[in-house]
Amino acid sequence: MRHGLDEYARLDSPLHRWEPRCKFVGLMALIFAFSFIEDLYLLLPMLGITVLLYKLSRLPKTYWCDRLHYPGYFLLGVVVVLPFVSGETILFEIAGLAVRWEGLLDVVEIATRFLCIVTVSLVLFGTSPIATTLRAMRSLGVPSLITDMMLLFYRYLYETLDRLTQVQTAMRLRGFNRQQLSWRNLRILASLAGTLLVTSYEQSEQVYRAMRLRGYGRSTARVSEIPVRTVDAIALGGVLAVSLTLVVLQSLGIEIWKF
Amino acid sequence: MHIADGFLPAKVCLAGYAVTGAATWFSLRQIRRDRDPQANIPKASLLTAAFFVGSLIHIPIPPASVHLVLNGLLGAVLGYYAFPAILVGLFFQAVMFQHGGMSVLGVNAAMMGIPAFLSAYVFQFRHRFGSDHRTTLSVFGFLAGALGVGLSALIFFAIVIANVPSNLNAEAERSAVWILTLSQIPLVIIEGVFTSMLVLFLQQVKPSLLQSTVNSEQ
Repeated sequence: MRHGLDEYARLDSPLHRWEPRCKFVGLMALIFAFSFIEDLYLLLPMLGITVLLYKLSRLPKTYWCDRLHYPGYFLLGVVVVLPFVSGETILFEIAGLAVRWEGLLDVVEIATRFLCIVTVSLVLFGTSPIATTLRAMRSLGVPSLITDMMLLFYRYLYETLDRLTQVQTAMRLRGFNRQQLSWRNLRILASLAGTLLVTSYEQSEQVYRAMRLRGYGRSTARVSEIPVRTVDAIALGGVLAVSLTLVVLQSLGIEIWKF
Repeated sequence: MHIADGFLPAKVCLAGYAVTGAATWFSLRQIRRDRDPQANIPKASLLTAAFFVGSLIHIPIPPASVHLVLNGLLGAVLGYYAFPAILVGLFFQAVMFQHGGMSVLGVNAAMMGIPAFLSAYVFQFRHRFGSDHRTTLSVFGFLAGALGVGLSALIFFAIVIANVPSNLNAEAERSAVWILTLSQIPLVIIEGVFTSMLVLFLQQVKPSLLQSTVNSEQ
């Protein structure tokens, strides 16, 4: 399987060693706590926690930069649009467009929250193999139908992507001009998508037969869960306490940096 | 058409997860009534992968190009599996490409999945008008595709404008939602036409693909 998700899943760090179920619960709680933050005074502690987590995970900076390439466009959109449309207090004008103070504050708040949540997500899914994370989700109560679908989806995604690339190359070599929007081109592209669906459907029948032969669907002895170590539980307790503190501070509107 | 992490307040994110939880529970309950639900898991998974890849096909709209959402088609083909399929697809988009995000997974899944449900039911109505007839298929394929993306666009803009930025007045927000949604009409039509063509292709090549769970007798 070719993928970038498990690229750094075998490193050795406290986050890599953290029991997957505890890690999932703890970091998801942190993600939600971050989404609660609206007070500018709480952005700095949130940023500090995120940097600390990423440092602890020992994931390389290049991994972070590569992963932020695509969502960076979203951030750019926010930075470009919000200061001009949100708020009433005009700070200055650029080419006749007023830059507003409230809009700038919105940008700072959204961009920081966005970067922190994405970084914690990277730590969550980058420090364990995806199969381990899905097993943890299953043991935490996510329905088996969903986790089975996730595993199979992930297993066959790149195969389907390769198939699309091959067919598109063949179409180009046969002179298909994809730059024009015409009835004929739309029909050809619909046939291309249809072919992908039909091929996947036929492959799924073979996959199901192979899975049945390997015992899929029969009741098996329940795999005993690895017990949670004390250190994992303490780490989970710590992260939950931090998350709860952030939510409480935000709810009470306490400006901690004024003390 | 994804809402990114950090964009929405926590209460909206939590409400999104609640709606998605309820829709997933409903889907799973319907799926379990199927004769052999396990047999359909590989089918639904691989078709989800194919839909995911199919949505990467760019449709030229000079001078740019767009990619389709295909949630209406997904509803028409997968029936009750459509919602879990969308949830799985969005989860991996968030995890692999940071497209969407974990805090807004519930909102995005509800935004794409509930219109897919409705598309599945709209596509089911074709049985009342002669399901195998080409004209019926193409009309209901168009309606399913257009409804899926159109409704998702409306929900998307309503959520975005209502939550960010917070300093617009209500009148401006309403106008913005309608203007942005109306600007999607060409895309809605293209998605509808594309879905209609694809449904006709499937009827010709693999008709069994159009017998989704929502359409089959349970």
